[in-house]
Amino acid sequence: MSRLEAGADDFAYHQTPEPQALIPASPRELKRLIKDWRAGRATRNVLQAMSDAYVAVFAAVMVGAMVVNVILNAQRTIAQCTSESCLSARTILPWAAFAATVAMALAASRLFGPVLASAAEGFWLLDAPISRAQLLRSRLVGGVVAAFLGGALVGGLVSALTGSGTTEVMVWAAATAFSAAASVAFAAAQQGVDRHVLTRAATYVFGLLGVGALFSVVGVAAGWFSLGLSDNLGIEIGVIMIAASALVLAASAVLAALRLGQIRRARLLSGGALVSGISGAFFALDIGLARDIVVERRAIERGHVHPKRGKGLGIEAIIWREWQRLWRFPQPLLVLAGTIVVPYACDALGMSTLTPVVAALALFGALIPLLGGLRVLTRTGGLARCLPFSLARIKLASIAVPAILAGIWAVATTPAYLGFGDGAVQRTVPDASFIAIATAAAGLLAAVRWTQAKGVDFGAPMVASQAGAFPPGLVTNLFRGFDVCLITTAPLLLGFSPFWSMLIAAIAAMILLNSMDAETLRARQAEQQKQLAAERKQRAEAAAAAKQRKR
Amino acid sequence: MAKRTTILKVSGLRRAFGPNTIFEKFSLEVRTGEAIALTGRNGAGKSTLLRCLVGADRPDDGRVQVCGNAMSEASPEIRRDVATVIDDLDFFPDLSVVEHLDLLARAHGIADPDDVVDEVLEEVQLVPQSGQLPGTLSSGQRRRLALATAFVRPRKLLILDEPEQRLDSEGLTWLTQRLKSERQKGLAIVFASHEPELVETVATRVIQLGAPRE
Repeated sequence: MSRLEAGADDFAYHQTPEPQALIPASPRELKRLIKDWRAGRATRNVLQAMSDAYVAVFAAVMVGAMVVNVILNAQRTIAQCTSESCLSARTILPWAAFAATVAMALAASRLFGPVLASAAEGFWLLDAPISRAQLLRSRLVGGVVAAFLGGALVGGLVSALTGSGTTEVMVWAAATAFSAAASVAFAAAQQGVDRHVLTRAATYVFGLLGVGALFSVVGVAAGWFSLGLSDNLGIEIGVIMIAASALVLAASAVLAALRLGQIRRARLLSGGALVSGISGAFFALDIGLARDIVVERRAIERGHVHPKRGKGLGIEAIIWREWQRLWRFPQPLLVLAGTIVVPYACDALGMSTLTPVVAALALFGALIPLLGGLRVLTRTGGLARCLPFSLARIKLASIAVPAILAGIWAVATTPAYLGFGDGAVQRTVPDASFIAIATAAAGLLAAVRWTQAKGVDFGAPMVASQAGAFPPGLVTNLFRGFDVCLITTAPLLLGFSPFWSMLIAAIAAMILLNSMDAETLRARQAEQQKQLAAERKQRAEAAAAAKQRKR
Repeated sequence: MAKRTTILKVSGLRRAFGPNTIFEKFSLEVRTGEAIALTGRNGAGKSTLLRCLVGADRPDDGRVQVCGNAMSEASPEIRRDVATVIDDLDFFPDLSVVEHLDLLARAHGIADPDDVVDEVLEEVQLVPQSGQLPGTLSSGQRRRLALATAFVRPRKLLILDEPEQRLDSEGLTWLTQRLKSERQKGLAIVFASHEPELVETVATRVIQLGAPRE
């Protein structure tokens, strides 16, 4: 029988039953599954890991105890002050901390998301047919809680450091905590509709409020005006802030939760990639790299600029470009301007002796964003190799604009060292000028050292420790910059002449700005050693040949 | 016919990483109008040799001289004379494509760099991207920008590490013609490449590094 003649039965087939509709796993089930996998791979539990890292834990406890001791001492000292400038500073500084914390929470939220997802989650989970809102809810809650805790810490700490009583400390801790949490929730609600204008505007408003609060401390200390604040005003305003922040937090959190499912995948992943890059840099304790990642991200967000024609020729071209780059991204100038208040505020608080150290540290932080050019030219040799100048000259050109700004900063802060607040150390104008210059030099050179720090060389021989082997530069990298600040201002702290500080600054400048010349010296030294070895070899060969001839 | 002067002189160069000797007793002389192609399998030492030539890496032994001066990466004269495109080129994140080229040209003393910059931008086909910041460029566009940095400035010696990398066929054709023209104008060139057409058209001498793969 041919196939064609075959009956219908020959071609009968077993019909498979209709596949049942697949029910996707819930986000919670998927998360639990991933958690199980991760836990299954762990080779040590938390206690074992902590026991291995007991040196670090012990150090953390020790440092923590020291910090608490310092806070208590500072609080006791400042609580005793009775002058109007000191009392007004004590009342206003928690407001400044409040505003600054809100501004920072908003800025960080805008930078990272605040709701974000890792690349792996983006690939494996966000593509799955599951509710994105449910998946991301824990991220939102985590961000809000972290901001709450961070805010409580900052608010409580600043309030305690300014000598406030227990009730006031608790009120400001709660107010700052609620407002920071509300900021993150607000930014998340904005992220849900892919808008950032309000978040950005609020960041600037609160930043300016913070600087304004600091200025008012200075104004009272200078006697320009009197705020006439009552003792209970801090608590009253703090309570109002708690109520207002809690309302904003509740409303924003509801809005953010409702909009969680609408956040674009690209937006979630870019925040995740940023966190991943930064955490990688932090694991290597390479804070410079972490900053590079943030700077690169901001530039990518901007994407396109209106090109500007350069000016000058030769080394001048680099200086002009630095100037143009600064005007393209002028935000660091606001921070720099804000730090002018720091020495005045310190003096108003009656901390005249500590003023140069605190001011130099503030300037150090403010100048780092202005040294982006130096960072790019020194982190790899590639770009500097394209320029027909020695690295020392390139470095000088790169820091010319920040150095001028540091000079202006020194002029603007000179009155703070004349004996600004009540009971402050009184100085002559030349003395105050030299202290201001030395402080500015300390801040600038610290920023230069921080900026041109190389990442830790993990290929170098390791140092053995109880916590395992680590490369030698790993820990010292953390203190780069701070060391220059502290060493340069140490004579001022100890009451010596500012000339000692300036001498230390000059030595630090020679080392920091001529590091390539040190490299050249090493290269020359190696070259000379090679020549010497070649000559010795020639002489030995000649002597051997002479001996041979004699025989 | 103009006398050909020696631009690059390498003698007895040696570089080893631990027990692994990358190259030893390597000598080379490159004169004006000569293009040397370094070829060989991956890991043969082409990039290491080029890094030693530009001063980014220090050889264990031997000498490198550029225009009679001992090679030193820190020397402004060497930086003026040698244009390099190797993997460690960095960019300012907040300067656009055209601003990078303008800065380089001005730093090298070109008083009115607009014409040179425009011409090179046109050649590397980055005119539409001239206002873009480097972070937004594709890897191929970044490569073109890196190559452009070598052509907007005066140079006597051009050192390139696999310049064909990430270039499309059109870009490769441009690069081949440009390098050939540079050589014919008297530039000394040393480049590593895996691209037979580029090597054949540009190189006056080919040096095979490392043992061929069996």
